[in-house]
Amino acid sequence: MPETAHVRVSHVTKRFGGVTAVDDVSFEVPKGSFATLLGPSGCGKTTTLRMIAGFYDPDQGDIEIGGRRVNDLPVHRRGTAMVFQDYALFPHMTVRDNVAYGLKVAHVSGADRTRRVDETLAFVGLGGLGDRWPNQLSGGQQQRVAVARALVIQPQVLLLDEPLSNLDAKLREQLRVEMRVLQRRLGMTFVYVTHDQEEALSLSDWIAVMNAGRVEQAGAPWDIYYRPRTAFLADFVGSVNLVPAKVLDVRDDEVTIALGSQQASVRRPEGVALTAGQEVKLCLRPESFTIGRDSGNPTGGRGGIELTGTIVRRAFLGDTMRYWVKVDDREWIVDQPDPGGSATLDGPVSLSLRPDRVHVIAEEHVAR
Amino acid sequence: MRSLRREPALLLALLAVAALVLTFIVYPQLQVVLTPGPGGYVQFLQEGTWLVPLRNSIQLTLLSTTTAVLLGFVYAYAMVYSNMRWKPFFRLIGILPLLSPPFVVAAAYTLLFGARGVISYGVFGQSPNIYGLNGVWGVQTIAFFPFAYQLIADALSRSDPRMEQAARNLGAGSWRVFWTVTLPLSRPGLGAAILTTAIYILEDFGNPQLIGGVFYVLPTQAYSLISSFGEYTSAAAVSTILLLLALGLYLAKVRLDGGRSFVTISGRASSMPRPPVSAAVSRACFVACLGLAGVILLVYGSLVVSALTLRFPNNLQFTTEHFQYVLSGTNGDALRNTLVFSGVAAAISAVFALFAGWLVQRGQWPGRRALDLLLILPAAIPGIFFGLGYLVAFNQRWLDFVDRGWLIVIAFVFWNIPVGYQAAVAGLRQIDRSIDEAATSLGASSLRGFREVILPMLGGSLRVGFVTTFVRAVTTLSLVIFLFTPPTTVATIRIYQLVGDLNWGAATAYTVADIGLAIVALLIFAVLARGRIALGAARA
Repeated sequence: MPETAHVRVSHVTKRFGGVTAVDDVSFEVPKGSFATLLGPSGCGKTTTLRMIAGFYDPDQGDIEIGGRRVNDLPVHRRGTAMVFQDYALFPHMTVRDNVAYGLKVAHVSGADRTRRVDETLAFVGLGGLGDRWPNQLSGGQQQRVAVARALVIQPQVLLLDEPLSNLDAKLREQLRVEMRVLQRRLGMTFVYVTHDQEEALSLSDWIAVMNAGRVEQAGAPWDIYYRPRTAFLADFVGSVNLVPAKVLDVRDDEVTIALGSQQASVRRPEGVALTAGQEVKLCLRPESFTIGRDSGNPTGGRGGIELTGTIVRRAFLGDTMRYWVKVDDREWIVDQPDPGGSATLDGPVSLSLRPDRVHVIAEEHVAR
Repeated sequence: MRSLRREPALLLALLAVAALVLTFIVYPQLQVVLTPGPGGYVQFLQEGTWLVPLRNSIQLTLLSTTTAVLLGFVYAYAMVYSNMRWKPFFRLIGILPLLSPPFVVAAAYTLLFGARGVISYGVFGQSPNIYGLNGVWGVQTIAFFPFAYQLIADALSRSDPRMEQAARNLGAGSWRVFWTVTLPLSRPGLGAAILTTAIYILEDFGNPQLIGGVFYVLPTQAYSLISSFGEYTSAAAVSTILLLLALGLYLAKVRLDGGRSFVTISGRASSMPRPPVSAAVSRACFVACLGLAGVILLVYGSLVVSALTLRFPNNLQFTTEHFQYVLSGTNGDALRNTLVFSGVAAAISAVFALFAGWLVQRGQWPGRRALDLLLILPAAIPGIFFGLGYLVAFNQRWLDFVDRGWLIVIAFVFWNIPVGYQAAVAGLRQIDRSIDEAATSLGASSLRGFREVILPMLGGSLRVGFVTTFVRAVTTLSLVIFLFTPPTTVATIRIYQLVGDLNWGAATAYTVADIGLAIVALLIFAVLARGRIALGAARA
């Protein structure tokens, strides 16, 4: 984590009645980064965001923005602006008046105000729609107005609460790209809340995955996806095969594990204590497999995992073909990329997995 | 709480609202309740003079509520469910009684059925004694069934047509759907409507006062104790009993309102029509509504005819003499007072209620539940009690420098707060909290966000609060009966006095003028508001 923390959340706890919504959460968001709080509904991500904005007061802990403790500042003096899930556009104001509102409050004068509003509208691709009313806009356009309205006041930090969740899939994907480009161009610090792991992975510099009021793991998207520390994380972010296995031997950067009757040497996860004989789980992503017709003789690389099984079900997902393969008494999820390029498989198949595609999750992290 | 400390202006505004509520809602009522003192209550209870009016009040409320609700239900069912003709006409007729003081029904009743009544004497040659329980019962039935109709129609129309469509689709006939789906779904709403009607009837002062004769109910007993004997202690005690009854009904109603979770109150109107009822049912509905509308027209028609003839019903020669009398001198002043007091009070009440509603609905501070309760409380307080409270609390020598008109205005404002307040809360529920939050997150203080963003969105609630408060202020008699002074007399008082003088021509002309003024004022307001006005759920 770079040293210039722009938003710092330290040991923050928030309770609603008897429910602890946020439980001793700490993290830092570097200046100019795109940070995402990711988690299932009820995990405390929105509550955390709203505490940063000032809509909720933390019961314990501090929130700092730009090195300044903001706990005692009212919402309108925090230098944050928020983009809401339902956009919260003012229905009785035109698009232009919506965007101009924050400037009006900040006493930005007439000509300057008009210029900045026009610039921002053009910036988000809404030039020429300033005189429309919010209810005359499509969902995607409304979303852009909400972003423009927040951006125009040049907040220190932009807070976004599931801003894309009300849009259809195609538009969501498009705006996801725009959002990322926007943030890069402005170099503004974004704190983004979503329950959509794909969105989080594609947008963020940094992700904190939350569960039951706590930060389960924080780090770069790559690490979150390929090196989850817990079974919850592995399962929440993407599809996964979570398979019990046993540690046989631990070396410097390698672990030998037993999976059924097979042995395999795989990468040793960092910062996790492993001992021989320990029960662990293997995190195997469906797209990491190589699947082929069972030719009877193993083809895979040394040290990896080799399995044979029978296809029980398949689903055509467009960019991939997903198979459910029965190996002994367990079903595995396996993806075959570019299904148009190869024949659809059926019956007995062989699966292989390179050792660096296997991630070991120690059981004590699973149980909590 | 923290958010209040961070915004001192908000804290100050809240304290101001709380202070006003304590001064003008809590303090005067406490004065009444505390007037007799423990010894006074003991003595009063032992005297037992309250037993008869209490029994009368309960008996009358039960009888009148039953009949008014039955008639109101028929009218409401016909309006909501049938395909009968003339619906706009029936709707208009149903609104008319809401715009007039309920006790004009008693006046019309006397004209029509009294000892020299047009129908009783003119047609049947009888001179019945209409005073007493039966008279009041009949009059209240006619006076309050339109209120029951409004409340019941509101409750019925909230039920989701899709449920009824689904039931019909599953093979149930229209009658069966009504009994097994509609009625169970709207039962809490219906219950609340019935209880609200009962409160109106329990609190009614004008009708029993005019034709009750020796049949005293609690409000008339309290009034006569003061006006005839100057017995403040006993009057306060009688009023307190009345208050307890009304509060009991009101609390029951609030419980039912809270259980209204079955019916969807979404902002969007369901575009699906209700399944049709049979032609025969529609015809029956039409006949029933025609009869009921006929009764209403008879009441108001006789008032108009009486107002425009020399000496109704004996001399039917056309004259404008009564209207000239009504519009001249102190009579004209009273009419003007009504208009000014009601208009000013309605504006203040609507705005104040809206702001208070916002503070309570959006706030997160200790005591908001208490303030919520206090702002709804006046809906349960009988006008006679509220007026007595202001008399006891504010009729003080050191307040003589204040124009007494203000006392009436302030009483109008705070007695009607629940109307605007509930409209505001309902309106605010339709506005997502994120709208407030968006304003503050863009740099506006909470108060500024309210003024610039929320207030303009609550136009509907503001209009409901204004119109309903205005109408209630124009039509109330019980609230002002203790508060008026000769220069601050209002129309309802003058009508009451003229009826008492048996000056029927002037009394009816005054009534017509009062109702006419209210209608004209509302029409002007409707034009200003570009037609978007609505009367809040009848009276509270």
